[in-house]
Amino acid sequence: MRSEQEACRAIERYADTVRRLCMIHLKNEADTEDIFQTVFLKYVLSTTRFQSEEHEKAWMIRVTINACKDLLKSVFRSRTVSLEELPEAVVSGSNESREVLEAVLSLPKKYRDVVYLHYYEGYPAPQIGEILGKKTNTVYTLLTRAKQLLREKLGGEEDA
Amino acid sequence: MREQLKEALDQVQASQEMKERTLAYLDRRTHGFRRAAPRAAGWVLAAACCLVLMLVGGTLYFTPTAAISVDVNPSLELEVNRFDRVISVKGYQEDGQALADSVDLGHLSYTEALERLMASETIVNCLANEELLSITVVGDETQRTAILAEAERWAAGSENICCGAGNPEEVGHAHEAGLSFGKYQAFLELQALDPSVTEEDAAGMTMRQIQDRIDALTGGSAGQWTSGDTCGNGTGGGHHGYGWGGRHE
Repeated sequence: MRSEQEACRAIERYADTVRRLCMIHLKNEADTEDIFQTVFLKYVLSTTRFQSEEHEKAWMIRVTINACKDLLKSVFRSRTVSLEELPEAVVSGSNESREVLEAVLSLPKKYRDVVYLHYYEGYPAPQIGEILGKKTNTVYTLLTRAKQLLREKLGGEEDA
Repeated sequence: MREQLKEALDQVQASQEMKERTLAYLDRRTHGFRRAAPRAAGWVLAAACCLVLMLVGGTLYFTPTAAISVDVNPSLELEVNRFDRVISVKGYQEDGQALADSVDLGHLSYTEALERLMASETIVNCLANEELLSITVVGDETQRTAILAEAERWAAGSENICCGAGNPEEVGHAHEAGLSFGKYQAFLELQALDPSVTEEDAAGMTMRQIQDRIDALTGGSAGQWTSGDTCGNGTGGGHHGYGWGGRHE
């Protein structure tokens, strides 16, 4: 089991990443808190030895996405999901940021992870495939389709 | 689009309260990050349980509950556990030890062990030379009956083989005398008729020789046991009646 110091370091380092992934999937503060607890408890109890910070980060992303999916699938989940519940910071931020996030959240779920991992985290398609357990070609297809949808919603130039 | 998205998502951050609540939750769930100790204790407990099970299982497995004495001269004793497995083989005198060394009977079922023993060159040659072979069994009634039923199968197939139940009380005396308990009972029968016969004499005699002496002393005709006969039935004019303890019905 990992120490308290390791847990603190992981929370400081990955809390924002987990929070963003939760927003993409859940958009609900209560569920986000559940995911936080699940993910970091798994981290503390995990015996996985990470070869690098990148390895650790990829593990954290994969566990968070899986935890979100599990929560959404759970038959015991009784909380309703507010479709438009954006974080307060975003709501009070610029209109542009709000529009962008709303555009991302309006994407079908299958596109959201690849968009986040590619545009925000900067992962290339093969690594996204490893994290999500998908073939690289599938990731390319999802990215291409997601870009088209986002361009339709936001306009502007496509960037790789 | 990338910059727009980064800018928007940068604003999504975990609050300090959420981080603190998560840390408090981890502290609670791991009993102050000390779950390693109970887990280690669990492993120790599991290992201890395994050890106890192994000891109990080993004790049960290696505790003999029946014994089979196979005597021609050579003589062998097989100890059998409650699972009907042979857990030890002891040969008496040099020829018995040589026979024990020549056939691997360890951990076989007594059925397989008897089959292998009866098929051994030594036993086959002895029976071909008209030697007498006795199979004597001691043990609790259920297991003894089952083993004797198997022994009778062999006795039924040869006129020079007999089988019977032994007297458990004499097993210790037999071993002190350096004899298998099957042979010891034959010796006691002979000694009752001829007190000059010693244990050392018996050790060097074949079962055929002992039986011939008994027949001579009782006036019975020396010869062969009837096919499928049981040792020590004590009837028939002293025919092959060792007067053994626990009779096989």
